[in-house]
Amino acid sequence: MKLKKLMALAMAGVMTLSLAACGDTAAPAASDAPAAEPAASEAPAADGEEAAAPAAGETDWSQYAGEKLVVWTLANDLIDFGERFQEQTGVEVETVVIEPANYPTKVQTALLAGETEPDIIVGEPQMLQDMYDAGFFADLDQFGAQDYADQIVDYIWQVGQSSDGVQRAISYQITPAGFYYRRDIAQEVFGTEDPDEIGKLFADYPTILETAKTLKAAGYRIFASDSELSFFSGDSAWVIDGKLNVSESRLAYMDLVVELYQQDLTAYAAQWSTPWYQAMSGPVPILTAETQWGTDDMNIWDAESFNAATEGMETTEVFAFGLPSWGVLTMRDNVGETSGKWGVCAGPAYGFSGGTYIGVSSYSEKQELGWEFVKFCTLNEDTANWWIEYSEGDTVSLLPVLEAHKDDENAVYGGQKLYAFWLEQAEGLDYSKVTKYDTAIGDAWGAAISNIKTGAMSKEDAIDEFYDQIEATYAGEITVER
Amino acid sequence: MTIGYKIKKAIIYICMIVLALACLLPFLLMMVNATRSGSEIVTSFTLIPSTHLKENWETVFSFFNLFKGMWNSLVVAVPATLLGAYFSALTAYGLAMYKFKGNKLLFMVILIFMMIPGQLSLIGFYNLCTKLKLVNSYIPLIVPAIAAPGTVFFLRQYVLSALPPSLIEAARIDGAKELYSFHRIALPIMSPGIATMAIMGFIGNWNNYLLPMIILNKNEKFTLPVMMATLKASTDINSNQGAIYLAVAISVIPILIVFCFCSKYIISSISAGSVKG
Repeated sequence: MKLKKLMALAMAGVMTLSLAACGDTAAPAASDAPAAEPAASEAPAADGEEAAAPAAGETDWSQYAGEKLVVWTLANDLIDFGERFQEQTGVEVETVVIEPANYPTKVQTALLAGETEPDIIVGEPQMLQDMYDAGFFADLDQFGAQDYADQIVDYIWQVGQSSDGVQRAISYQITPAGFYYRRDIAQEVFGTEDPDEIGKLFADYPTILETAKTLKAAGYRIFASDSELSFFSGDSAWVIDGKLNVSESRLAYMDLVVELYQQDLTAYAAQWSTPWYQAMSGPVPILTAETQWGTDDMNIWDAESFNAATEGMETTEVFAFGLPSWGVLTMRDNVGETSGKWGVCAGPAYGFSGGTYIGVSSYSEKQELGWEFVKFCTLNEDTANWWIEYSEGDTVSLLPVLEAHKDDENAVYGGQKLYAFWLEQAEGLDYSKVTKYDTAIGDAWGAAISNIKTGAMSKEDAIDEFYDQIEATYAGEITVER
Repeated sequence: MTIGYKIKKAIIYICMIVLALACLLPFLLMMVNATRSGSEIVTSFTLIPSTHLKENWETVFSFFNLFKGMWNSLVVAVPATLLGAYFSALTAYGLAMYKFKGNKLLFMVILIFMMIPGQLSLIGFYNLCTKLKLVNSYIPLIVPAIAAPGTVFFLRQYVLSALPPSLIEAARIDGAKELYSFHRIALPIMSPGIATMAIMGFIGNWNNYLLPMIILNKNEKFTLPVMMATLKASTDINSNQGAIYLAVAISVIPILIVFCFCSKYIISSISAGSVKG
């Protein structure tokens, strides 16, 4: 009896303690937040003149002598940016790289504790909304960010804004998606290799199906797998005014993926697997729907087993890959002998994926210097020109620089003027169609599609299940009209 | 030496060889891949080492000093393991050997705490560390290792089964102090169990990722797992593949050494006993 009482007391004690601990965690975060304001308000007059001539040399760096910026990033790119910043300004930059998967946890833990250490924090589009909501990114408008609004590609500017329209982060690169296709195959099958003409073959979902059939009849496959289409999965918003919106284009996309799969129109080489990379440089064995994830004696992630098991099998060549603009670099490193035979054209819908958005931590004590760094990385023409050269072909977001490079020809892609192309794709993006639910709803829709294509469910059942899932996950937030 | 015996023996040997190969192959692959470039690794497979060891080495060391990371990991893992092992043994001995009020209750509390995942208290823990000015220090990684409920639980059961109370009583009659009898009698008898838990603890501390990732903010203080994770942060995962393999290959060396060093204790712990004859 006595023991039980003691137990109860102990448990109650533990609970109270843990509650107290919770209260403690919340308090400093709240009280530290306003502390950031004073630093912000002393944005000096110097800001005005920089707006007129935003070059690195114009800022008086001596006022920051001896200061140090701490950058927490998830991409190695910022190491190089940091080193260049240090070289040109004399301000010490310490760059800490954190693995992308754990980056949000790290930043969240530190900033909730009111850590002043990171001055610069970054985010990828899918993390940004949560980070804005938590108040991690400082308001850049107070430093005059809006003066630069017309220098950056529109959608980048919008992704960098929190829902209240305040600029909080800017990316130095654009990441619109396009189709990378083989010019030699296009010439042979369609009699042209012109990106505009080939773009017409990808203009909408039914046309892609026709293109796929034509290519199969000629002994080629249109894609390595249907996931190449994932960046072009529809050009309507998933949620409009709190209502789930499954548009015609979503259904057309679903039909296309199912057809591609069931009629064996792709090579069934999963993205990022061995045959996927092989397909960039030449023929690959034709897998089937049954063998695409490997069999007992064939492992698609393991090249020896893959080569041995598929020896003597019929091979084919893959016509196109769907990747964002950073795919330019991936393709370049893997195309091997097909270098120069590639072209890039638009897809059936505008899409983008990835990008590192740089902002200033709202707990930083050096916000003003932080803004100088953001400006240096994203709004400085010198830096952008240097980055294009240094990264050997990454696509920057600064309009004047994209403009200046619009006639650059890329030899890997048959001399195509890629900067002009990506700019056009980026301008077509309508960011108002992007919602914070996109990842979750897109995944659920993808699951429904794969259930249909593999025959696990009928179309009606799969779509019903999709509705059920969205209803259950976002009860009270999104209304579902079937 | 009948034919049947020979066949049996042959079968056993074949099975053992296959098993050994299956265990060693991943290690061999890791070593081979450490010498290959990223695009070679994703597009083809071979057991013949390639020529990119130097490039991979340079890639790894262009990001960080791997040996510094190893040293940092050692500085964290060794004290944490030793402290954890010693104090867990002390606690387990006390719980198993002394009869006092609340013994069972204490044990139950320990059991309950075993069930709380550490990630839960992450933000609170970080807050505590900020208040104590312990962010960027190894102390929050080492000192809490003293309280290892899992190890206490294991060792308590071990003491109950391997250490007869009569041994300690005999020492007491001869005038031994309590701590003396723990150090001179209980500890040696418990050593196989402690070694087993120490190996587990060392591997756990060596591979610990989440807490160091949260607590440490300076590149030069990063432990090995945190350093290696940054290799994955490159824009194209592919290009660093070989470097990741090389870093992993180097990082398992200390674990292999610890295992070789302690494995005889693990084996002997299976048939340990103290009262002989």
